[in-house]
Amino acid sequence: MDRNYIYLTILMLVLAIGTLLVNNEPKLKQIEPQQLLLEMVQPTRYVTTDQIAKMIIHGDPSLELVDVRSADEFEQFALPRSVNIPLDSLINSSSLGYFGIPGTKVVFVSNDDIAADQAWVLTKRLGFKGTYVMRGGLNCWMETIINPQEPSEGSPNTAYETYAFRKGAQQYFTGAKAEVAEGSKVKVEVQRRKKTSAVAGGC
Amino acid sequence: MHIHELNPWRTLIVLTVFVAIMIVGFVTMREPLLTYEMDMKTSVAETKSDDSCFYLWQLVGFIEKENADVVLFDIRDNFVFGQGHIPGAENLSAQNLAREESIARLEELKNKNTTVVLYGDDQLQANGPVMLFRQVGFDNVKALVGGYQYYKQHKDDLLATQNDSTLMQEIARYNYAEMAAPTNGAAINKVSQKKTVEVTRRKKTAAVAGGC
Amino acid sequence: MCPLIPNGIISSGWDFVIAIILGMAFGFILEASGFSSARNIVGVFYGYNFVVLRVFFTALIVAMVGLLYFDYFGWLDLSKIFILPTYLTPMIIGGVVMGVGFIMGGFCPGTSFTAVAIGKIDGIVFTIGLYFGIFIFSEAFPLFGDFYTSGDLGNVTITDATGIPASWVAMGFTVVALAAFWGTMFVEKRVRKNMTEYKF
Repeated sequence: MDRNYIYLTILMLVLAIGTLLVNNEPKLKQIEPQQLLLEMVQPTRYVTTDQIAKMIIHGDPSLELVDVRSADEFEQFALPRSVNIPLDSLINSSSLGYFGIPGTKVVFVSNDDIAADQAWVLTKRLGFKGTYVMRGGLNCWMETIINPQEPSEGSPNTAYETYAFRKGAQQYFTGAKAEVAEGSKVKVEVQRRKKTSAVAGGC
Repeated sequence: MHIHELNPWRTLIVLTVFVAIMIVGFVTMREPLLTYEMDMKTSVAETKSDDSCFYLWQLVGFIEKENADVVLFDIRDNFVFGQGHIPGAENLSAQNLAREESIARLEELKNKNTTVVLYGDDQLQANGPVMLFRQVGFDNVKALVGGYQYYKQHKDDLLATQNDSTLMQEIARYNYAEMAAPTNGAAINKVSQKKTVEVTRRKKTAAVAGGC
Repeated sequence: MCPLIPNGIISSGWDFVIAIILGMAFGFILEASGFSSARNIVGVFYGYNFVVLRVFFTALIVAMVGLLYFDYFGWLDLSKIFILPTYLTPMIIGGVVMGVGFIMGGFCPGTSFTAVAIGKIDGIVFTIGLYFGIFIFSEAFPLFGDFYTSGDLGNVTITDATGIPASWVAMGFTVVALAAFWGTMFVEKRVRKNMTEYKF
């Protein structure tokens, strides 16, 4: 019997018992607060209602609208192709599957933009990438897309271009019969994230 | 019997290496500047509460320098701050919020039980930082409802904003369904009912793997 | 910081270079542990030499406990490392097939290459058989392809499946492994007493 083996056995046992003391890892993976703070001061997460309207009209498959209002409000009116995840059920495991799918842009929508931004902060804290906030929310959507105001005289050319686009978008979302029928029957295919495993290892 | 088993120092070497790794590990471990003190559930619940809101009419005492337990921070950048700000506000631009000095300052104010109010151009700008600071334990941090733009509109009569209903956030200001109804008189386009959402559960992927 | 490749510290172009370096290190340890000898390896099944069990268990518990500490020190993000997906029944069947081959051939795939490296004829024969087996498996794959991918549990760990915290799993496994070391040492001694044809 070798005395060295006794020492090594004791060493290994001590180390293993040590893991019990040091590893109390949190259940949910979160990003560090400082990182979160740095990311949230960037305004890159905001998208305008015009951009959303354009993406819906073009049928951009990477767009995933997440409506954080209550189920009742969602029932009464919602943007086409949006999914309802009320803010209080945001971190349920069934909801979290919608976020962080590579190649999709999750855009949070609420009445204004505060609740959407709160949803952004909460999901960002959990480390999800590719989430955005629709600036101005549905109130702004109504003001700009559904009921656009004609720019006052002497406005720059771009204002008229935006107005022209919004007028067209208004037609798309409220007007012409064919488009409504078509738009409403679009089957929404919601992608959910898969646990990725890029590299495969062996022993 | 292998050649390495003849080395009389082998156990000592292993022991030293292991202990050295452990020591280096514990020494290099850095305490993060901020840690979450509020778990996800409470953070979600907090979005519904009013605790993080500071209203404009509450500022009256502050601007008249009567109220010493409120500190107002302007998180817009220095240039915009110079063009105009709420009297008595300090400039602490959002880019500098994560700095050690800023955190130390907040820590100090928290110990003095001072309410810290952050405001940006609009309420949205302050929303994120306020949420984060509350989540990491600074529960004295609040956001100025409406932000600077709202202040500018009402700076002559701050108390009047007490009953201002336009201030209410997250309220539908229009009847969406009616407004977005088809103009040709067809039925209201209820998207939510016709929609079929195909929900597939997230799968753990099966990758090709090697053996030994 | 770690894992280096998923975190972009080393670009994935270095995959093969790292694989070769790791492979050399693995081969070196196999050879240094005496695994290029079929007698040492099959000793586990006959009870006269448990060096295979000891080497692999040592590597396993050191790596396991070490990873937990590295995660704690912030050197490695355990949630980012790759976890082999589990296919329950196919893996059990595969394990049995491999075990049978292990006893009959005296090598496992990795050790057969170390045996080839030092010029052992049995190792060369085994390796030829290995490639022949791979060929047959690939050709016949459509016959049992469905079974091969059945019972997919995903990339689960024991912690995911049972809810026992990782540190308790590591602790339990270490105790079992250490008990196995001492247990097998006594078994070895008793078996070796009755053996005359093999010198240790």
